[in-house]
Amino acid sequence: MLREPLQTLLTVVVIAIALTLPTALYISVENIRQLSGGVESSAQITVFVKKGARPAAIEKLGEQLGKLSGVTSVSYISAQTALEEFNALSGFGSALQYLDENPLPEAFLVQPLLLNDSAKLVAEIRQITLVDDVQLDMEWLSRLDALLDMGRKLVLALGAALGIGVILVVGNTIRLAIQSRRDEIIIVKLVGGTDAYVRRPFLYTGLLFGFFGAMVAALMLIGLGFWLEPSVNDLASLYQSQFRLSGLGVSGFIALLAIGGGVGLAGAWISVSQHMRDIKPR
Amino acid sequence: MIRFDNLSKRYTGGFEALRNVSFEMDSGEMAFLTGHSGAGKSTLLKLLMLIERPTAGNLLINGKNLNRLAKSRIPFYRRQLGVVFQNHQLLFDRSVFENVALPLQVSGYSPGEIGRRVRAALDSVGLLDREKQSPIELSGGEQQRVGIARAVVHKPKILLADEPTGNLDPQLSAEIMALFRRFQDVGVTVLVATHDISLINKMNMRIMRLNQGELELDGVAHDID
Ligand SMILES: Nc1ncnc2c1ncn2[C@@H]1O[C@H](COP(=O)(O)OP(=O)(O)O)[C@@H](O)[C@H]1O
Ligand SMILES: [Mg+2]
Repeated sequence: MLREPLQTLLTVVVIAIALTLPTALYISVENIRQLSGGVESSAQITVFVKKGARPAAIEKLGEQLGKLSGVTSVSYISAQTALEEFNALSGFGSALQYLDENPLPEAFLVQPLLLNDSAKLVAEIRQITLVDDVQLDMEWLSRLDALLDMGRKLVLALGAALGIGVILVVGNTIRLAIQSRRDEIIIVKLVGGTDAYVRRPFLYTGLLFGFFGAMVAALMLIGLGFWLEPSVNDLASLYQSQFRLSGLGVSGFIALLAIGGGVGLAGAWISVSQHMRDIKPR
Repeated sequence: MIRFDNLSKRYTGGFEALRNVSFEMDSGEMAFLTGHSGAGKSTLLKLLMLIERPTAGNLLINGKNLNRLAKSRIPFYRRQLGVVFQNHQLLFDRSVFENVALPLQVSGYSPGEIGRRVRAALDSVGLLDREKQSPIELSGGEQQRVGIARAVVHKPKILLADEPTGNLDPQLSAEIMALFRRFQDVGVTVLVATHDISLINKMNMRIMRLNQGELELDGVAHDID
């Protein structure tokens, strides 16, 4: 492995880059998912009741909403409560005193069980006669969910493509190693070395390439994290969010090592079984 | 020990390098294989090393037919052989010691055992003090002796040599041949391919002569003349 230092370095760097790209994308997707997970639970449907509805009818509407499938909870916000809340939060309290009547409607907050159900729920609720308007606050969230789904598929596709790339790169490096040690292989075979004995050092080499590539990739990811952290924190503080960038973690690092080693080993295996056949004696 | 039974070898391309060759060698016997260049000497040795396979006939070692040897058993068969080449095939990026140790390493000997046996083999060819050197620092004759040490380090039952004195002067060639005789004396079956007729005629030993792939003579030197 150390006979060709430049070739070795090049191979490790190429493997590292190939591992870094899908892993970085994966970490991004996971971070965004975490971020959205916090918001998801607050995804609510606000149902505004028509003006002038009688209290008994409003109560019946509340029950009706609670019975819809896919609804976890329904809470009633009377026009009065809404006004008080508005006063407290907005500071327009004194201005509102000049209004003759409460301009705010009676409303219900409906909590859907699953984000995916909310669009269907909104349509269902709109059909109800007493309902004036329905708002799904978090429509962007379901879009984000679809986007995250796509991101995850992209990670897989990118990972597969670059994994094949790594196999080819390792395979080529091993092919060169086999060629440069051809004489040695012939002698070892002639003095009774088994195929497994001849193969073993090349397989180790492939495995080590994968491990080192994964370790360099981990370093690159850590560097990337440090580089991104200030801007992520700035962004988070703008939204008054407690959000912090989370990295690969120990289990993620072990998985990266395993994937790197596995792909390196696969590349070496394919190359060895292909090129060993060309060397006589068999 | 070795039995060729009507062996023929036709290379891909159609050239018949060996034709109906039959002979036997007993355990502990020594013989020379001669013949013009291209007569088939190397081919015959390659059949014994299982580098090439015969196209017809049977090759028996210790009563076992090599045609029926499973591919996975080939390495273990080769461990019974010691092989010396004209171009000695030493690895120049390794020390003399490491070169000689190779047959023991592939068979999984312990480091202590390897050290002991390698030194014994180097001692038997008179190169004990050179173990740390690279083969490139040695003369042609010394390199050939390292090759012989590697061929006998694992105490093979059969020693095969293909033109082992090809590049050496008569004095060194005689030394190498004397070395082979010493291995024969301890019970090794020795088969040496050479075209150095003047040398082997003096040795009074069994000679097999190939001509165009056929075994045309088989006897002791003074009978042949
Ligand atoms: N791999 C091969 N393919 C085709 N022909 C070969 C091959 N090896 C040897 N030969 C031919 O077989 C004949 C015998 O070769 P060889 O056994 O090397 O002869 P020797 O060792 O007696 O000089 C030669 O004519 C040679 O050209
Ligand atoms: Mg020859």
